[in-house]
Amino acid sequence: MTDVTTTAPKPVSPSMQAWRMFRQNHAAVLGLGILIAIIVISLLGPYIYTVPPRDMVWMPLTPPGTSEYVLGTDYLGRDLLAGLINGGRVTLAVGFAAALITVAIGISVGALAGFFGGRVDNFLMRVTEFFQVLPNLLFAMVVVMLFGPDLLNISIAIGIVSWTSTARLTRGEFMRIREMDFVKAERSIGAGNTRLIWRVILPNAAPPLIVVSALAIGTAILFEAGLSFLGLSDPNSTSWGRMIGDNRPYILDSPWGVTFPGLCIFLTVLAISLIGDGLNDAFNPKLRER
Amino acid sequence: MLKGSLNKLGNAVVLLVAVLVLNFTLIHIAPGDPVEAIVGEMGGATPEMIEQMRAQYGLDQPFIVQIGTYLGNVLTGDLGMSTYYGQPVTQLIWDRIGATMLLVITALMTAMIIGTVLGVFSAQKRRSILSHFVTVIALAGFSAPVFWVGIMLILLLSVSIPLLPISGMTSATSEAGGIAHVLDVLHHLILPALTLATIYLAFYSRLARASMLEVLGSDYVRTARAKGMPQRLVIYKHALRNAILPVVTFAGLQFGQLISGAVLVETVFAWPGLGTLAFESILRRDTPTLLGILFFSSMMVVVMNVLTDLVYRIIDPRIKAR
Amino acid sequence: MTTPLLSVRDLEIAFRSDGTDIPVVRDLSFDLAHGETLGIVGESGCGKSITALSLLGLVPSPPGRVTKGQILFEGEDLVGAREQRLNQVRGNDISMVFQEPMTSLNPVYTIGEQIAETARVHFGLSKAKAWKRAVEMLSLVGIPSPDQRAYDYPHQLSGGMRQRVMIAIALVCEPKILIADEPTTALDVTVQAQIFDLFQDLKRQIGAAIILITHDIGVVAQMTDRVMVMYAGRKIEEGPVAQFVRDPRHPYTSGLVSCIPRLMMPPSDEVEDLFEIPGVVPAPRDLNRPGCPFSPRCNRVMPRCRDENPALEVRADGRKVACWLETEVAA
Repeated sequence: MTDVTTTAPKPVSPSMQAWRMFRQNHAAVLGLGILIAIIVISLLGPYIYTVPPRDMVWMPLTPPGTSEYVLGTDYLGRDLLAGLINGGRVTLAVGFAAALITVAIGISVGALAGFFGGRVDNFLMRVTEFFQVLPNLLFAMVVVMLFGPDLLNISIAIGIVSWTSTARLTRGEFMRIREMDFVKAERSIGAGNTRLIWRVILPNAAPPLIVVSALAIGTAILFEAGLSFLGLSDPNSTSWGRMIGDNRPYILDSPWGVTFPGLCIFLTVLAISLIGDGLNDAFNPKLRER
Repeated sequence: MLKGSLNKLGNAVVLLVAVLVLNFTLIHIAPGDPVEAIVGEMGGATPEMIEQMRAQYGLDQPFIVQIGTYLGNVLTGDLGMSTYYGQPVTQLIWDRIGATMLLVITALMTAMIIGTVLGVFSAQKRRSILSHFVTVIALAGFSAPVFWVGIMLILLLSVSIPLLPISGMTSATSEAGGIAHVLDVLHHLILPALTLATIYLAFYSRLARASMLEVLGSDYVRTARAKGMPQRLVIYKHALRNAILPVVTFAGLQFGQLISGAVLVETVFAWPGLGTLAFESILRRDTPTLLGILFFSSMMVVVMNVLTDLVYRIIDPRIKAR
Repeated sequence: MTTPLLSVRDLEIAFRSDGTDIPVVRDLSFDLAHGETLGIVGESGCGKSITALSLLGLVPSPPGRVTKGQILFEGEDLVGAREQRLNQVRGNDISMVFQEPMTSLNPVYTIGEQIAETARVHFGLSKAKAWKRAVEMLSLVGIPSPDQRAYDYPHQLSGGMRQRVMIAIALVCEPKILIADEPTTALDVTVQAQIFDLFQDLKRQIGAAIILITHDIGVVAQMTDRVMVMYAGRKIEEGPVAQFVRDPRHPYTSGLVSCIPRLMMPPSDEVEDLFEIPGVVPAPRDLNRPGCPFSPRCNRVMPRCRDENPALEVRADGRKVACWLETEVAA
């Protein structure tokens, strides 16, 4: 038996192991690189590239590469590059905030339903089913229209219509882990429900939840873009989706006005999807064969 | 079998009433009320007129009476009056539903059929170009905003290569009826349907692929091979029938949600359906119309859930027995 | 000497993992005569099931494939045979009953259809004739009111009944070889006994050669003529069943045999009636180390066992054993 133990690999923590797996997935690493770049540009860009995004700075409808404003200008003569850099902040902020709300509601509902089961589960699953029936975009439109299109309301509206799948996943994980021996052991030494839910079960349910949380950011960004496109955006800020909406009537004169913001959204969400896939593979090495 | 469906139906009614209550509560707690919107449209009114309109709309009644009236009205098919069009919301929806159905059904069928074919083929050859292609279009389809895809397709297929009309459902100049009219509509349908289908194609090809992979690894497919079934029968008789079960389920569930999804695409292409109506009612702050569409769409979701359940019972013998 | 019905020669099966082929079965040779029942025993993970699948050309590929050797069925090599040819053999000449009756039947077709289609494919029977044949088969495997049960879907049957259906599928074309891969492991004990009774009956009726894969030595003792013991992908002992139970040669075989309660054995002086082999079967990727793969778990291990892997030696009485103890005794 001795030679077996000497050749066994050094123990590594599960998160280290997941990181190693993640690093092997080139697409996911690329996605992470793109996302970090987009975040950094959005945060620092406005201080370095100081052209005001909402003012007329040049001839309207100037094509890219023909002036000092490299990506051209829109129908109001606003610098497209400045718009993209500043718009990224709003898009990312709403994306992250909405994903946070999605995950917070989803995990809370799912955890309670899965942990307590019985009537609690029954009731919470009815509520979940109800929110699944609501047509998500239409409902978000109604909420934003009735309560006003500020960034917080938009984030809340997106969160309210997106949490159901997270809740179902969390519930499933909780029901599975609840029956495991170590949970029973914790219970037998007197751990309370709060401790069991947050400190014992939740950490063990983390891997799939991290994956859906990552993907929720991407979905939320698409959602925000859709609402902005329909005109349901904060009038005091510019997001990528709103830029597309604003420039849509002028696609024949300035196709670049819709192309670039769309590409930004596409790249950001694609990066998040790649990261999500990478995380999924890293946490479930067995599924990698597929 | 019937009992299960009846349960589903009862459940569905409860859900719809809940949607109505939520609808109504939202208007009630939201800042501002419908009368203010109407007054805004009219460009101002005297306080007496506002009071009179409040009474006319029943807004001076207690909450519980208002909600009762509202539910009763909806039950008789009355979703209220549009504050902008001045027509019953039910009538507006009825006028627009055909266009939306045409778009949604075309897009969903296209996505489902092509997606299933792509998924099924790519599952058989996991390392093939087709398989990688499915992975790439699935990722791209999930990541691109649908309205942007629509605009890009317009730039490509209507502007750069002028093959297809940019927007609308018919040519303004076209007075023709019969076959010419049908062809004209189909011509206009291609781009919006393609746009909507792109997004769902991503979903279905991935779902069909995953489902087929799972089925191909199953014990019963191994049994079929061990019996000496030719490859053709193994795939199309034993594997496919099982692999499309989740595809059918999701198609049914998504069909309801698709009206919501069509909002963006209809807006891009000015397709005269419910989605464009929803967009316009936002522009006009026409709350009754938007809520009416929300309720109608919820109803579609619920109805499709029940129908999907029925179809599922037919194609999967395991459920029939329960 | 006549050609054996089935002759496996130097078979090696490998699974590809991270760019290298890792053998899970190696140097495996055995014969099967007409009408004979061969038992293959060993713990899970020792290559029994994959060997069985290889006989039908069903090694999951990728990642697995037969990397060496021949599988001669009536003198014809099935390794590298065309898929069309294999489909003629599968279910017709060689058929198989799997371990998992619960998942081995297609949930969306009736059991009658699943039996009948096999007859249609191999015998070209009409729909009606194939259905009639399916009903006969259900009756043969002891399913009551078979003409009604044929319309049942798998989920309507118990595990034992489903395994009977699997046996009916396997036998519908009157194969020359029936492979049963742990056919009762997933079933209740009483049902297990019923299924083995059925096998005993059918064996007399159909005259097919049977390869019975199991880790249940009791079953082997009752059912088989000859036994082959596999450990970590290799054959380590082979011989007639009577001698195998009475006088196991390899320490691993001794361990397996002593794992069963000795109901049929005369009482012995041994303290432990039930004995368990400590440790687990080594993973295939650990097999490249020198020495006997069983040595870490062997209770009679010698220094030599850790350095050199013993070859399979034929003893004077015709039994085959791969263990240094044999050569020590012989020398």
